Order: sequence, then structure tokens, then C-alpha cells
Amino acid sequence: MAQKRTGMTRREFLQNAGLATGAIALTGLTPALATAAGTTDPKIGAQLIGKLEGPTLILDPAKFPKKFSEAPMLAELVKAGKLPPVENRIPEEPMVVKPVHSIGKYGGTWRRGFTGPGDGENGNRIVSTDKILFWDFTGTKVMPCIAKDWKVSDDGRVIAILLRKGMKWSDGTPFTADDFVFWYEDVYMNKDIQPSPHPDFMVNGKPGRLTKRDDYTVVFEFPEPNYLFVDILAGSTAMGGGQATQQFFGRTMGAYMPAHYIKQFLPKYSSRDEVDRKAKAVGFDGWLSYIKNRWDWRLNPELPTLGPWKTVSPINTPTWGLERNPYYYGIDSEGNQLPYLDKISMGVAENLEVLNLRAIAGQYDLQERHTSMGKIPVFLENRSKGNYDVRLDPALNGSDATLQVNHAYEGDPEVAKWLHNRDFRRALSLGIERDQLNETFWLGIGVAGSIVPADSSPYSPGAEWRKKWSTHNPKQANELLDKIGLTKKDSEGYRLRTDGKGRLRIELQTSAGAFIPHTQVAEMIKEQWKKIGIQADAKEVERNLFFTKIKANEHQIAIWANDGTEVLYLFPRHALPVDPVEALLGHPIADWFASNGKAGKAPTDPQMVKALELFRSAGSKKTAEERYKVAREIFKIIVEEQFSIGTVGQSPATMGVRIVSKKLGNIPSRQVNAQHARTPCSSHPATFFFKS
Amino acid sequence: MTEPEVRPGAVVDEEVALPPSMAEEQISVATQWQLMWWRFKKHRLAMASTVVVLLFYLVVVFADFLAYSNPLASEAQRSLLPPHRIHWFDGWRFSPYVYGLTGMRDPNTFKRVYTPDPNKKIPVRFFTRGFEYHLFGLVPTTLHLVGVEGTTPEESLFLLGTDEQGRDLWSRLMYGTRTSLIIGLVGVSLSLLLGVFLGGISGLYGGVLDTVIQRVIEILRSIPTIPLWMGLAAALPNDWSVTQVYFAITIIISLIGWTELARVVRGRFLSLRQEDFVMAAVLSGCNQMRIIFTHLVPSFLSHIIAATTLAIPAMIISETSLSFLGLGLRPPAISWGVLLQQAQNIQALAISPWLLIPSIPVTIVILAFNFMGDGLRDAADPYGH
Amino acid sequence: MLAYLVRRLILAVLTMWAVSVLSFVVIQLPPGDYITSYIAQMSSSGSFVSEQEANALRQQYGLDQPQYIQYIRWMKMVLQGNFGMALEYGRPVSEVIGDRIYLTMVVSVAAIIFTWCAALPIGVYSAVRQYSFGDYVATFIGFIGLAIPSFMLALILMYFGFTFFNLNIGGLFSEELAEAPWSLAKAWDLTKHLPLPALILGLAGTAQLIRIMRANLLDELGKPYVVTARARGLSESRLIIKYPVRVALNPFASTIGYLLPYVVSGSIIVSLVLSLPTVGPLLLKSLVAQDMFLAGTIVLLLGVMTVIGTFISDLLLMWIDPRIRFEGKQ
Repeated sequence: MAQKRTGMTRREFLQNAGLATGAIALTGLTPALATAAGTTDPKIGAQLIGKLEGPTLILDPAKFPKKFSEAPMLAELVKAGKLPPVENRIPEEPMVVKPVHSIGKYGGTWRRGFTGPGDGENGNRIVSTDKILFWDFTGTKVMPCIAKDWKVSDDGRVIAILLRKGMKWSDGTPFTADDFVFWYEDVYMNKDIQPSPHPDFMVNGKPGRLTKRDDYTVVFEFPEPNYLFVDILAGSTAMGGGQATQQFFGRTMGAYMPAHYIKQFLPKYSSRDEVDRKAKAVGFDGWLSYIKNRWDWRLNPELPTLGPWKTVSPINTPTWGLERNPYYYGIDSEGNQLPYLDKISMGVAENLEVLNLRAIAGQYDLQERHTSMGKIPVFLENRSKGNYDVRLDPALNGSDATLQVNHAYEGDPEVAKWLHNRDFRRALSLGIERDQLNETFWLGIGVAGSIVPADSSPYSPGAEWRKKWSTHNPKQANELLDKIGLTKKDSEGYRLRTDGKGRLRIELQTSAGAFIPHTQVAEMIKEQWKKIGIQADAKEVERNLFFTKIKANEHQIAIWANDGTEVLYLFPRHALPVDPVEALLGHPIADWFASNGKAGKAPTDPQMVKALELFRSAGSKKTAEERYKVAREIFKIIVEEQFSIGTVGQSPATMGVRIVSKKLGNIPSRQVNAQHARTPCSSHPATFFFKS
Repeated sequence: MTEPEVRPGAVVDEEVALPPSMAEEQISVATQWQLMWWRFKKHRLAMASTVVVLLFYLVVVFADFLAYSNPLASEAQRSLLPPHRIHWFDGWRFSPYVYGLTGMRDPNTFKRVYTPDPNKKIPVRFFTRGFEYHLFGLVPTTLHLVGVEGTTPEESLFLLGTDEQGRDLWSRLMYGTRTSLIIGLVGVSLSLLLGVFLGGISGLYGGVLDTVIQRVIEILRSIPTIPLWMGLAAALPNDWSVTQVYFAITIIISLIGWTELARVVRGRFLSLRQEDFVMAAVLSGCNQMRIIFTHLVPSFLSHIIAATTLAIPAMIISETSLSFLGLGLRPPAISWGVLLQQAQNIQALAISPWLLIPSIPVTIVILAFNFMGDGLRDAADPYGH
Repeated sequence: MLAYLVRRLILAVLTMWAVSVLSFVVIQLPPGDYITSYIAQMSSSGSFVSEQEANALRQQYGLDQPQYIQYIRWMKMVLQGNFGMALEYGRPVSEVIGDRIYLTMVVSVAAIIFTWCAALPIGVYSAVRQYSFGDYVATFIGFIGLAIPSFMLALILMYFGFTFFNLNIGGLFSEELAEAPWSLAKAWDLTKHLPLPALILGLAGTAQLIRIMRANLLDELGKPYVVTARARGLSESRLIIKYPVRVALNPFASTIGYLLPYVVSGSIIVSLVLSLPTVGPLLLKSLVAQDMFLAGTIVLLLGVMTVIGTFISDLLLMWIDPRIRFEGKQ
């Protein structure tokens, strides 16, 4: 059932249809998504994986609460005259959240652990309801967020978002379309700040444009149809990412900014010398560095924000402290202004063992970040001592340790020849004993198979593609290798190169410090490939060096997670070589793709060319369903050709091990674990509360 | 104050059960090294430690023989096995055996649980056949000191348990010992050469040479080792094999370690230069080399030996520390540092503490070297009691 | 004397310059730069950075310039007292280091005091009562600290402290007081947290000192002047303390040289394991991230401390052993 493009707004459609539509209905999935996801879970750990649930938004204005209340700490300020009353602080059309379990209580401090100034995502994800659009708790349906609604024109060139009347920044200043215009004209178009347009705001290489229609309507215009743009606004992308996510560490995207505050730091509004002088007075070398520090919510407590909490103690101190935003635009279904929790206090841990140990000691109230799967037995043992529950949230991506083959490798012509041979890749894949890996490194919790995402994902081509070329079949692997000409073996049974230079060796490049020990996985694979006569060399390098080598096109096969591919178009780089900044599948090819053929090298494999063409065509597909069909075709090609070899995935390895204090309420028994859903934000942390 | 030449060994050696006159005679004609040996024997702890060190180096030579399981062979079904209990008596006969084990993951605690199967008695024997290796790098053989007969992955011996990948810890420990002890020895030899040579020149000649060498030492010492390490480790060519990287690492450690020795040697040289016997040697026309090696070196030999024997364990500790930081040897190489690094986490402490066992040989070897050095130092001291 | 001092000073300055060049080279040796590291970090935590942003950032931080220009730029800043911005922290380097340096010194000094208080008496006793049972026991205790790898010991003690005694896990302060301003309560909290780090750090250095003390004292005790003094009727303790110990302190003067940088940097590994907010972990993290200004400044600082320390060392050596003072005159 294709969604009709009549220019109808989302809300109107919903009102007419009377039930949840969009992505779920189009792919034939029902709201019983929870059970569908549950059926693919393996037996072990099942008791720790709950039912997918979460808060929902009430979109019908007729059902909005009429009376409001607020946190006691704010009520005091109102009494003292320091804050306007709650009715004046929340917008006329607030975001109304129905909590997953019950209405909460105000008060309390959420304690968490973080690892230092580089761990900005720890806080970013919690306040990601400052995004323009977002997802529902299943991570599949686009929902309003800051924008109460959106409209896409028939031809897909004009996407309008509707803001909420009366919405204010955290310092009380009104939030309007002017903040978007300011960002576009004074920041995005400023060549000093943003030297060239960003791909997320372009379509087929042509830039988009932002204008305002009125104070509460912002319009994004493109020269060509860009139906994907709504997904981009909802996902964790440069345009959709929200102020917190996109304006940290020198980044400049996210489509809006607090104009009234940031103006003072731009040369345009005073003079270049003036802003330079101000910057140098505080120790920065120029206005550019200074402004990037000023609009970084983690570093600057004075920056107005829209999220539920704002920074009071910056991230570059031992405690990153957040406190409630008195002007937050969200309320619960009974009119209580969110968030329930007053504060969030994150303590720094210089190393991960200490962090996990503190979690075990019950020093954290809710921690899903930096907790490692390998420690699950220890977490379970100490549950009563630390007064917490352990929950597992499997992710949706197909493979946490993916063998990404470099399809542009040229260093060693013999090896390059084999890497470009699909039967060789298939043989390598058939030589991997995934169940062994699963048991050892994923504690048996993961799902073995190819790189395709979870069956419940609309991008997945289907369960049979998980097993294709991805079972343990050394006999077939040996046959394939013999067939393609690698018949000569040495005394130890390893196959020899056909150019006479001895044993054929394939290098597996890994980096230390990922959530799954990739190097050890490589070691195990090396042992397994003995049975098919292939010698692998596992080579662990520093993380920086890992990416540097990839950029220099030096690696043969690199092992990395393929997270993000479960929403292929928002984060394609782990599935296809399309983004030069991290092109595990071949940097020259990514260059070629990103520059539209002007730079880099074209792929030699016609199937790769086909996959990339399909990918490029997706942007012009009108409906989500059409895009999903294209994605499925792409995944089928990747699996059939084994461009990437998957091992084990759909596991809680990254942000999936949740330590939850028994004192917290409104904690979903299972939440979506995915990048685009900004885990844990899809569970609306603003609705978490302390039960006593 | 000058004295007539001190008679070496003006000490009564109680343990020499010879008639006094013969003992005195023996002592007076004994060489310096014989005297050292006799004095060394007195220090019981040092003797014991030397034996320990020698035993460890035996392990270095015979690592393959002592191991019974391929240290790289991973097998998920025996991941994190606790140390195997050996039953020594089968009924009344002395016939050591172990039970076969079946393993599974407990769904409630997530731990691997192994239950012995009383029907499967696997005999443990000495001198069994196992995986192939080359004795002394030359002779191919499959003989191992201890092992079991019938070796499917599940039916094997695991004296110290297994690691996460199911690899036998005892066998890995044997290979780790070999790697770490060789690094220690080679590294120290290099440091010693450089340290004595450069420190000696520095102390003996003084002047410009001294200044230059001292500055070089200062510069090298000023750079913290970790950045130096990271830089050098990253600069090593990619395609070097594990062995090559391992030797490069050894050389790099020793290049940083020599400064310690040099500075101390220089200090001693500076003091000793003033000694009368040196002046006497100079006056009597000895050339520089003779002065250094025949006169000066023996008088601070004890100090050098002390410093050197402390240097070996220091090198071993360096290796473990660097592996801990991920800068030293990395898997698939096996060394004490690598083994300890894999045990450096909470789950090892809480659930599989046998992974920490490699810290015991590390401790023992270091203690042994230190006591041995003690003994050597005391024995070599010409003025000692 | 003056000429000697002036000469040493000039040499010291030259050394410091050489150290600065070496530091820069060593930090830049690993391929890539801060931006690569930043991208890597983002990628492995599930986030992402675009090619464009990467290039823009490189330009902004001057990382696209050739090495020697970056070095010159850095030196110019340093000589003006400006240590640059710590890229990851977004704060001036001097602030970031300054925050941690006092705590580092407190921990290091505590460790040093522990070491000296333990090592000196054991060393003296060991030398005087050679081969006695007490000698063996004391030496054994002293060496345990050296023998057990410190990171392992730190983790074990921390874990057991938590499991059996519910001690605070790592760090130097309890949760509640971490952010509070300085007060008597906070100072007491710090003191309560010091024993574990001081013990672990101190133990490692104890053995070294015992051995040196013992070796030197033994050497001295065999010397003729000691025999004479004993024959003359000097009491044993007076005899030992007044002369041989003083000479045996000779090598201590050599070691003071590198105590100074240690005081400032602290131990990297143990601090990392125990999560102490000291300069050590800061150095390690900045090296991994290739944060040039932060890493460079710390390394330079350590280098300068070492040079100063060596200088002090030499002065001390001269004072203790008058024979060396006249080294020029042979």
C-alpha cells in the first residue's frame, strides 16, 4: 500500500486512518513488532531480553491536558518571581508523552559514568529530543519532535516543518523559524565556518536551500526530488542531529541555533577585530575557535538549549553535571512538565574496568554505555548487592565483527586478484565456524550469519539471506578454492600462491579497544581457516593507524562492526564504499562515488557498480516502501557476492547491556538499540523517575 | 692512608673443612673467580635462586616439550575451563587420570559450567605424543613431557585451565616464559654493553666527551618512555612478522635502558678515578685499556653485577607493562605481558581467577634474579667480609 | 664554581631545546593526527564524522601544515607562555594540566615518603646484619613490591577492597565530595584514599632503593676507615650513621634526578588502573589521541623537570663527595 502524496499532513493522515501507519503498515509489519523481534532471539539470555516497549506521543490536540504542573524546585523559583509560571514556559502545542508504565514523580539525580571529554555522545544521546524529527519507540516510524508536523510536496522538492507556537529556549527566549534562518545564513553559508556544502543537505550533488514561510514554518527546498530528506531529519545525520549532537567539537550542522546568543560571537554583528579580541582575551587563538566552543553544549553552560537537561558542570571537568531545563517543551499525558529527574551527574572513570566495577557496586542508576558483554556473569552475580537489574537489548545490525574486504586493494597483485574473486570470498565465508565465535565472544547471545540486518528490519531481504554463503561448510569451501585454481598446497596444508612466491597469506587488520575483541576473533578465524588451507595473519594496530591505513588503501581485509546498516540510507558506510571518511570497503571507490566520478577509482566489479547505482537511485524513490525494496536488492547483492563477510550480530555488545537501578521507574523492559534511534533516547529519558 | 696489598680472602671460610694450613694455602693461590664462587655458595638464598633461574631457562629451551597442547588452538567448547583435577589413583593402582568434561553455558548465571563425566576416564601419562614441534629448532618430534592419550578437543588435559578462547593456559605459559625470558636476556646484554662502554668513557675521560654523553643521556631520559614507545612502535613497518617486531621491541627497550647503567657507572668511575691504585697504575705506565679493564672494572664489578641482575627483571616488567598498555607484544604473540593483559579485567578476577596464574612465575623469576644478584654482588666484593 | 654553573646552565638550555624537538617528533611519529584519532574514536563509539568536517577541522587547527611549520608555531607559542588549547578538552592546556598537577604531586610525594621510610631502614639493617634471618625477611618484603606487576596488584587490591571492604573504587575522592570545593572534609577524604595508591606505587620503588642502599653500605663497611673507627671504640650506631651511610648516599644523589619528573607525572600505569585524576593518564590519553598541544606540553614539562633534576643531582653529588668537586684537577 503506497502512501498517497496528496500534500496531506501527517497528522491529517493519521486522523483519517485512525491507526499507526507509515513504515509499519507499508511493510506488512503490525504493531506487534515486539513479538516479531522476539522470535529471532536465541535461547540463551532470553530471560534478560524483555519486550520492546516505550513511551508514545499523543498527537491529537483534543486529547492534550489542560492543566499543568511542574517540579518542586521550579515551583520555588516561580514563587520567588525568578521564573514565569509553567503555563507560560511550555509551548501552546507541547510534545505530550504518555510514559510507558506510569506517571512519574519529580526529583532525584541520575548517576552515570563517562570516560572523559571525548565521551560527548554519552550526554548527547540523552538529550536528543532536541532533534527536529525523531522515531517512535520501535525505531521504525518517524514522529514529531521539535517540529510538531511536516509536509512533503508532491514532487518531493519542498519539505516544510511546522514548529510549536510558544516554544522557548532554556533561557526563556522564544524559539522560532528565525533560529533556522540564522543558522542557514550566518553559519552554514559562512565560508569561514562551513567551507563547502554538506552532503546531507544536498541531493545528487546539488545543494538545498532553507527559507522561512512564517515564524513557525521552515522550508527546505531542493532542486531535485529528495524524498529521503524526512528520514534524514529524523535520523542521526548532519541535518537531523539536533543542536547537542551536531554542535560539539567544532561541528556546525543541525539546522538551527540560538540566534540571540550566538550573534555576539560572529564578526558580522560587530567586527572581526572585536570578536578576535574577545576570543584572545579568554585564551582562544581566534573568533572561529571561540565560537565553536561557545555553541558546544557540553562545554558552555550558558548556551541556550532545547533538550530536557542542560549542562551546568562542563564535560572537561571530573563531573559532567546536567540540570533540568525549565523551558522544556515536553509534558506527560497528565500535564506534568518533563523531565521528572532533576539532575544527571556523570562521574569520570579513567579506564573501563573502574567504570564497570562502579556499575557493579551500584554507583550508577542507569548505565548502558561502556558496559561490556563479557562482564555479564559478574553483573548477574552482584545484582542484589548493587540493587540493580540487568537487561539486554540486542541491536539490529547483522554483524558486530564484519570482515570488510577492500575492493580497491592493489598492494599485492596476487592477493588483490583473489580478493576480487567472489568464489574466493565465498570460500572464506564458508570456512568460518560462526557458532564457535558466538559462544566464545558473544556468550552465545548473538545471531550467526551474514551481514543482513535483523529480520524485523524493513531493510532486510529475509531470513534465508542470513544463511546464504554464511554457514560452516569447509567441504564446499575447499571445493570452491580448488575450482578457482588454488590447488597447490605446501607440506602443512596451506594453499600456495599461483605466482610461485610461496604460501598465500591474507592479512586481517584489527584494532584494539572495540566493544568486541576483534583481534581475538581474527585469531580464532585464523585457526578455523587452517581447515580450508588459507593462512591468515591477524594484525592489530592502534585505532588511529587502523583508519589511516584504510584511508591509504593499504588494508586487505579489515574487521569492524557494521552498525548503522540496519537503516541503510542514513548510515551506509559499513555496507558500501560511499563515504571517504571511513571506507572500509575501498577508499578510492568511495572517493569516486562521493565525487560523482571526478576523483578516486571506479570499481572493477560490475556487481559493485550495480549496488552503488541502486544506492544512488534510492534518493529519488518517493515512498519508503520503494526505498526498502531497493535496500533489499542491495543487501542481496552484498550477500551473494560476499562483499562483506558477516560473522555474528544482533547482539547487545554495543550499548545493549543495561544496568538499571531497581529504584528507577518507567524503564522499558526492552529498548531499540540503534544509532538512528539515539539509544537510550527513544525511551524518552525525560520520563524516567525514582520510585521512592 | 695506604696499606700493603690486602690479602684476598682474609676471611675464615668455616665451610672449608680442610686443615688450616692447607686452607690458607688454597685460598692464597685461588683465583678471583674461585673465591667468588666460594663466597657465593655461602649465600643460601642466592644459591637457591640461581637454581630457580636455571630451571626457568630450561623451560625456555624445552618449552615445546613441556607444553602438551598447541597454544594457538582455540576451541569454544572448552572456553574458560578451570584447572583440571587430576586423580592419582585408579582403585589401588597408581594411574593418574582426569575425567572428560562436558561444558555448557548456564542460562541463569551466563558462566560456562563443566561437569565431569565419570564414565570417561582419560589416562594421564608421561612422555606422550602430541602436536609436532622442532626440538632446538632442528629436530622434528612429537614427544611431550606429559599428556593424555586420545586427544579430541574435549578430551584433553588442562592443568591450569583454559582462557576465553579455550586455549590451554599451561602450554601458553610455557611459550610465554620462553618469549619473556629471552627478551630479558637479550635486552640486558645490549644495555650492559652500551652502558658500561659509554658510562665508562664518560667517567674516565671527563671533559667534552663526558659532557656530550651526559647530555645525550639526559635527553633520552627526559622523554617519557611511553611516547617514545608509541612513536617507535607505530613506525615499525607493517609487514614485519611477529618475531621481527619482537626483536625490534627488545632492542628498543634496551636502547632506553642503557642510560640507567651508564649513569651509575659514570658515578662510580668518577669516585674511583681518585683512588690510589688507579694513580699507581697510571704512574707505573699502564695504558688506558689496562687501567679500565684490569684495575677499574673489578673494583666496581660488584655494583655492575648488582645493577645488571636488577636490569633483567626490570626489562621483564617493562615488557609486561608495555603489553598492558597495548604497546608491546600483541596477540597472536605469547608472552607474560600478553597473558597478563588478557587477565587484567574484572571478569577474570571474579569468574576465572586461574587466568592470573602467570603472575606467579613473573614474581618468582624476578625475586630469583634479585636474590641471585644479591649473592653475586656480595661474592664479587673484594673488600667484603 | 661559577664558571661551572654557567656552563651547566647553558648546556641545560640546549638540552631542553633538543628535548622539545624530540618530543614533537615522537608525538607526531605515529601516522595520522588528532583528527584521525578523533574520527577513529567517533567511529568506534557508533558516531560518525564526514570527510568535509574532517578537512575543515584540520585546516582550523593548522594540522594540514608541514611538520616543521607546526613545530615552529608551537615553539613560538610556548616561549610566549601560551601552551595552546587541549583539543579534546576545549580548554587551555595550562588549565587542564594545572587542575591535575597538585593532586599528582600529593600522590607522588606520598609514594616517595612511603618508599624512603620503608627502604632506608631495611637497607641499613640488611647490610649490617648480612645473611641473618632478619635480612632475608626484610629483603623479601622489599622485593615483593618489585616482583608483582603493579597494574595487576592495583586491580587485585582495588577489586578485593571493593568486594570485601566496600571501599571506594578508584579515584582520589568519594562521589559526593568530588566536585565540592576544598574543605577540611575534602582534605580528609583525600587522605583516606591515599594509602592504596601510595602503597602500590611506593612498593615498586622500595626494592630498588633497598638494594642500592645495601650494596653501597656493604661496600663502605668493608673499607679500612670503618675498621679503624671501630677499633678506636666508636659506638656501632654512631659509626655507621656518621660515615658510611653518608658515602652510601652517593647514588641517591644520582636518583634524585629522576624523582623530580616523577613527582610531576606520577605513575602512568597504576594511575590508569586506579583511575586517579593525575597527569599520568592525561599523558597517555593525549598521546593516543595525538593531541599535540596537550601531549607536547606534558612531555616538554617532564623533560624540563628531568634536566633540572639532573642539575640538582650533580650539585648534590658535588656537595656530598668533595672529591668530585675537584674533578677538573686530576
